[in-house]
Amino acid sequence: MTFVRPLAYLMLAAVGIPAALVRDTQAPAPAPPAAEGISGNWELSFDSRKIPRARLLPTITQAKLTQRANLDAHAIRWCNLMGLPFVMDSGRPIDIREGPTVVMIVAENVPNPRYLYKDRTTHISGDVYDPSTHGDSIAHWERDTLVVDTIGFHPTHGITAIPGGGYRTDKSHLVERYRLMDNGNMLSVTFTWTDKTVFATPQTYEFRYYRLPATYEVRAGILCDPYNQSRADFLGDPLEPRPSAKPVR
Amino acid sequence: MRSHVIAIAALPLLLLVGVFAAGAPQEAPAAWRRLEGAWVRTDPDGSGSFGGLGSNIVPARLKPGVSMAGAGRGGRAGGGRGARGAPPDAAGAGTPHKEGDPYIAVAQPCFGGAGRSGGALLVNPDSGGVHFAVSKDEVIFAGERGGVRHIYMDGRPHPSSWTPTGAGHSVGRFEGDVLVVETVGFTPGAVPGGGMRSAATQLVERFQVAPDGQTMTVTYTWDDPAIYEQPHTYRYLFDRAPGNPPYALEEWCDASDPIEKQSIVPPKQIIK
Repeated sequence: MTFVRPLAYLMLAAVGIPAALVRDTQAPAPAPPAAEGISGNWELSFDSRKIPRARLLPTITQAKLTQRANLDAHAIRWCNLMGLPFVMDSGRPIDIREGPTVVMIVAENVPNPRYLYKDRTTHISGDVYDPSTHGDSIAHWERDTLVVDTIGFHPTHGITAIPGGGYRTDKSHLVERYRLMDNGNMLSVTFTWTDKTVFATPQTYEFRYYRLPATYEVRAGILCDPYNQSRADFLGDPLEPRPSAKPVR
Repeated sequence: MRSHVIAIAALPLLLLVGVFAAGAPQEAPAAWRRLEGAWVRTDPDGSGSFGGLGSNIVPARLKPGVSMAGAGRGGRAGGGRGARGAPPDAAGAGTPHKEGDPYIAVAQPCFGGAGRSGGALLVNPDSGGVHFAVSKDEVIFAGERGGVRHIYMDGRPHPSSWTPTGAGHSVGRFEGDVLVVETVGFTPGAVPGGGMRSAATQLVERFQVAPDGQTMTVTYTWDDPAIYEQPHTYRYLFDRAPGNPPYALEEWCDASDPIEKQSIVPPKQIIK
C-alpha cells in the first residue's frame, strides 16, 4: 500500500506530463511541421534569390571572365553535364531525398544527380578522385541545419559561373547550409564559395525554395540534343571548333 | 514519505525520457540501409559482354502475330548519355575492320535520343554504377551513365493521364526486405530476351538485397496480355560497388569532342 501513491505519481509523470508538453508545443501549429524534413520537391520563384555582387581578385580580368563565359556557352551548346552551382537553379524544380546514408538532389532537366554523403566525414582522397562538375560532397546535421561541404571540382567542365560573379575552379570550396523555414514549407540554402584564385572574400548568397505539393509528379526532362541544327544555330558556339576527328593511337 | 520523495525526484528524469522519446528521429528500417548506396551489375556466368549477358535470358514467349518490327533493338539500342549506340559511320557491323581504325565509331556520341533518356537506361541497367537513396515517400534510382528514376512510395496510384516515357511511371513498396516496384506508361520499345513493351505493359521489379548487404538480385517480370503468352521473367545480379568508400562516378561525355566518336583503336600488331 505504501507504494501505491508513489507509483501513481510515477505513472502520471511518465504519461501525463510529457504528453501535455508535447501537446503544448504542437498546439498553435496551423499545419504540422514537415515530417519528411528536407525531402521533397522544391522550386525557386522570382523572389527566391538574394545574391550580392562577388568581390573578385584583381587578377580576375575581363578577358578571363569572357573566356569562362564562352566555355559556359559551349557547355550549353553541346549539352554537357552542367554541375554546380547551376544544378541548384536550373529553371526546373529540384527533388531532394534524404536516405539513411546519402542525400540525392535531382534537378528535373539535369541528367546526373548530386550525392551528398552522410556516412563519411572526410572527402575522397585527391589521389583517386577524378574531379567532376558536382565535386565530392559530404554532409552532416548541425541541429536543424544540414551542412554540406564540397571540393573536387573539375576546373573547366560544365557551367562554372557562380551567382554574383566569378567562377569555380579546381581550387574552389563550397559550403552549403540547408535549413527548413515556414513550418517546413520553405527551404533556405546558403551557399558560400571560397577560392583563393578567384575571390577576394568568400562569395555567399542564399536561395529560398518553395515546397511543391507532396502529390507533385516529377516531369520528364527536356531532351537536350546537341545535333539539332536549329538549336545549334540559335545558340551558336563562341569557341573555336575542335580539330577534326582522328583516331588516337 | 520517503517513497514520495523518490517519486518526485524521478519526475525530471521521466520527463526528459518522455520528451526525448517524442522528438527522437526514427531509425531508418534496416532494409532501406541495405538497399541504399552504390551497386554494379555482375556477370556471374562469365558471359564476357553485355550482349552475352542478354543472351542468357530465357526468350520471351510472344503471342502469335506479335513482332519486333518497329520496336527497336533490345539491350543497348538507341544510345543514351554515354551509351554511344548511334549508328556506326566508320566501322559498322559487317564492315571488315581496317588496321588502325577504331573498333567502334558512332555518328552522334553522347546523345541517346528520347528512347534512352531520362531513367530509361535504369529499366535495363548496363555496366555503369547505379545508386539508390531511400526515403519514406520516394526512392531515387540513379545511374552513373545518366538518368534518374523516381519511385513513389507514398501510396499514390499511377496517374490517369500520363505521357509515355522510356522509364515509365513507377510506384513501390517494401514487402519485408524486398523493394517491389510497379511501372507502367512506357514508350514502345524492346525488352531483354526478345520481349516488347508498350504504354499498357506492366513491369514489376523486385529488388532483394542479401542479408549481408553485399549482393542484390533484381527480378524483372514484364506482363502484357496483348504481347506475352505468359509473363516474361528474368533476373540481374549486382554487387556492392567497389571502393572504400564507394561513391558515384561522373561519366563525362562531350559531344563536341571528336574522340568521343570512337572506341578503342587497336595498336599495330607486331606479330601477325
